[in-house]
Amino acid sequence: MKNYLQLLLPRIVLAPSFFLILVFVYGFIIYTGYLSLTDSRMLPTYEFMGWGNYTKLFGLRHWKIAVNNLAIFAILYILFCTVIGLLLAILLDQKIRAEGFLRPIFLYPMALSFIVTGTAWKWFLDPGIGLEHIMHQWGWESFEFGWIKDRTFAIYTVVIAAVWQSSGFVMAMFLAGLRGIDGEIMKAAQIDGASGFRIYRRIIIPMLRPAFLSAFVILAHLSIKAYDLVIALTNGGPGRATEVPATFMYSYTFSRNQMGVGATSAIIMLLMIFSIIIPYLYSELRSEKQS
Amino acid sequence: MSKNSITSHIKLSRIFIYIVLIIFAIYYLLPLYVMLVNSLKPLEEIRGGGMLYLPSVWTLDPWRAAWSSAQIGVDPSGLRPYFWNSISMVVPAVLLSTVLGSLNGYVLTKWQFKGHGVVFGLLLLSCFIPFQIVLIPMAKLLGVFGLAGTTSGLVLVHLVYGVGFTTLFFRNYYAAFPTEIIKAAQIDGAGFFRIFWRVLLPSSGPIIVVSVIWQFTNIWNDFLFGASFADFDSTPITVALNNLVNSSTGVKEYNVHFAGAILAALPTLVVYIVSGRYFVRGLMAGAVKG
Amino acid sequence: MAKVTISDLYKSYGSVEVLKGINLHIEDGGFLVLVGPSGCGKSTLLNTIAGLEEITSGDIEIGKNSVAGLHPSKRNIAMVFQSYALYPNMTVSQNIGFGMEMKGIDKNEREISINKVAETLQISELLNRKPGQLSGGQRQRVAMGRAIVREPEVFLFDEPLSNLDAKLRIDMRTEIKRLHQRLGSTIIYVTHDQVEAMTLATKIAVLKDGCIQQFDTPYEIYNNPSNMFVANFMGAPAMNLIEGIVVMKNKDIEFEMKNNKGDVISLPIDGVKGLENYINKTVIFGIRPESINDLELSGKKSNKKLVEKAVEIDVVEPAGSDTYAIVEFGGKQVVTRLNGNSVVAAGEKVKLTFNLSQAVFFDIDTEERIR
Repeated sequence: MKNYLQLLLPRIVLAPSFFLILVFVYGFIIYTGYLSLTDSRMLPTYEFMGWGNYTKLFGLRHWKIAVNNLAIFAILYILFCTVIGLLLAILLDQKIRAEGFLRPIFLYPMALSFIVTGTAWKWFLDPGIGLEHIMHQWGWESFEFGWIKDRTFAIYTVVIAAVWQSSGFVMAMFLAGLRGIDGEIMKAAQIDGASGFRIYRRIIIPMLRPAFLSAFVILAHLSIKAYDLVIALTNGGPGRATEVPATFMYSYTFSRNQMGVGATSAIIMLLMIFSIIIPYLYSELRSEKQS
Repeated sequence: MSKNSITSHIKLSRIFIYIVLIIFAIYYLLPLYVMLVNSLKPLEEIRGGGMLYLPSVWTLDPWRAAWSSAQIGVDPSGLRPYFWNSISMVVPAVLLSTVLGSLNGYVLTKWQFKGHGVVFGLLLLSCFIPFQIVLIPMAKLLGVFGLAGTTSGLVLVHLVYGVGFTTLFFRNYYAAFPTEIIKAAQIDGAGFFRIFWRVLLPSSGPIIVVSVIWQFTNIWNDFLFGASFADFDSTPITVALNNLVNSSTGVKEYNVHFAGAILAALPTLVVYIVSGRYFVRGLMAGAVKG
Repeated sequence: MAKVTISDLYKSYGSVEVLKGINLHIEDGGFLVLVGPSGCGKSTLLNTIAGLEEITSGDIEIGKNSVAGLHPSKRNIAMVFQSYALYPNMTVSQNIGFGMEMKGIDKNEREISINKVAETLQISELLNRKPGQLSGGQRQRVAMGRAIVREPEVFLFDEPLSNLDAKLRIDMRTEIKRLHQRLGSTIIYVTHDQVEAMTLATKIAVLKDGCIQQFDTPYEIYNNPSNMFVANFMGAPAMNLIEGIVVMKNKDIEFEMKNNKGDVISLPIDGVKGLENYINKTVIFGIRPESINDLELSGKKSNKKLVEKAVEIDVVEPAGSDTYAIVEFGGKQVVTRLNGNSVVAAGEKVKLTFNLSQAVFFDIDTEERIR
């Protein structure tokens, strides 16, 4: 009897979490998926409509702006976070005495809510009272930095704030990767006559490939989900200039009473994330099994 | 004496390294500094400009206002009630998700059964979904269970979407525990829970810290769920802050906004300062393998 | 190939002195082994020879040139590491050729050298693989290939066999010896394994706490240790060290020990001049297990240096070719090496022959050898 219980117990213990996930994640995904195929407006209806929402979505100007912004944002966000993160990690790895002091400074923004980050940067980038104003006060009258109010450039302000928030985290990942490199390889490279720069380019950076991959996956996934930051910084504006799929979904579902379209946009977001995450997770879990 | 033609070259590049690091440190500290400094100035001083200057008149009024009298939505209640809303939401959610995560991790590594890989895979995948995908059905379900707008509802939401992460942390941590220890305990006569309680849990300090910090930070900082599923009794402080900052009509009291933002950020900052070192160490030691 | 001379080398980390006045010389084509316990400074010494670490004072000469202060890549050395330190993202061929690439040697020349070395080490089929796809022994050979292709004046080995399992270790040890014989290279080799030291070296330097305890040929180190540390460290099983008093009995010097029951046992000592200064003083007597045998072997009873004594056997450890019997003697557990065919059992009292021609004595305070 006791043995039977021991056999069943693991499944019983896992059951609550598994059940919750099944319903609240995968069940909900199916539900939203179904909704995307209906003509729901303010409230869900369940009449099957076919792909109409999808064709409608791809024709919407707002959606096109949102996707375009996402592309710009994601590429720049990932690029800058990776470059800055790598640079800071390499610099900190040079046996800097102040590392214990500097590292928390680079990392603390990660602990903040995107709302707080958005609030801080919103004032800093405001032409009236922020950087532009400071520059004027210091005598540099012609300095202009009104990007946050500019339709074309506003999305780049989101990049600046987001990079500020996340680059420290990427730095921590690269630093861990650098620390994991066998010191004897550095010695061998020195004997082979490789200079500092070449050691990094030919040996160390290629060895950081897993860290690059992890950073990419995490940043890509964060950029698709980015909602809080946009709301706090620009609220999607000016106008719709910083609309992203996440804000699009919310406004179409809850403010514009186009639940079907909103659900559709959510499904598209899901597909975007899954197309990156699933191959990654699959290869990670498989290589784990092999080792 | 050894000739050191290398040393002077090294010294120069070290200065360069320090300069670059300091420039970046300024970049990271500047917004915090600006918020802090301007939260201690009276409004007239802010309007006069000079965001970077220290206050000529030091005042704690903005802080008092942000805490207890600022206009948020319809009520001049300050952030205080929302602060406590957040606390009553975060604490149970963190506890529950950590407990569940640890048990899940234990089962998935030491009591594997057929199909455990699938279960873990699904749990892992759930960490990455965009929350927008569950907003609509969750709103419906919470309404059906009468949990709409309640703190308990928010706790449930955060529990569901956090258990994937905590399971991942504990699972990776326990995977490094040799199975021989479990077998030895079984020979000694310990059962399922006894082994967990007496053998694994006592050595789980580092990963518990990681899990708690991660969950606390994420749940406290959440905005989307708070904005979608809460009403006045349960609105967390992040949503309240956004209301304070974005919906003020008339005079924008920047100093109050800054004080409010820092108040909202304080718990996570404190948690980070106190235990951040352990968090990063634990995270990088393999808590998250990518 | 070249000779290496180290003169008065000191090295400190801040206020901690890790190498204290090292003086060594290895001739062209010699095989110098630096051996000692963990923390004795042997790896640090090797790193200073390589140029990977700076020295505080002293000099290092490779060939005719002083290399102190020179960058590692300019010292004409090559190094093989404990963890092989192969570049994981490059193929075997690229690994071997990397040093040449850094020097600017063109591709064709590199290929020729790489192929030649690969053939010598029998790794030609592995040239396009990455280190992750190789076994431990294969990686070791690639690491050696990378070193050989540099055509250095000195090869430096830093515990290269520590990461291999027992059987592989012995195979690779023979390969390294073969390499030494074939290339006639000057080698400086660090290990904590004294068996490796004895089998590979032409000269051994035993280090402890940053100082050289003895610098000599393997034979001398083994049979003429200069202090108790060397005597104890080298040789497995270790030399037996027994405390006792030097006494004068009728113009003969004898060494008296007390066994567990309190009885006095004495051994006649001859020809150790220094003991004359130690009459009635306590000294340490050292004798190796193989110098204590059973009667079967000692047909030369007439030799004054062979003395028979009765002992009680405590533990018997048959090891195939030999049988080790741990006996109680002089109040201590003494290891003796008997013939593999000996039939002895624990608890037995037997008579064993002590070959005192190889016996050594040490001052109990300074631990130095009494000669």
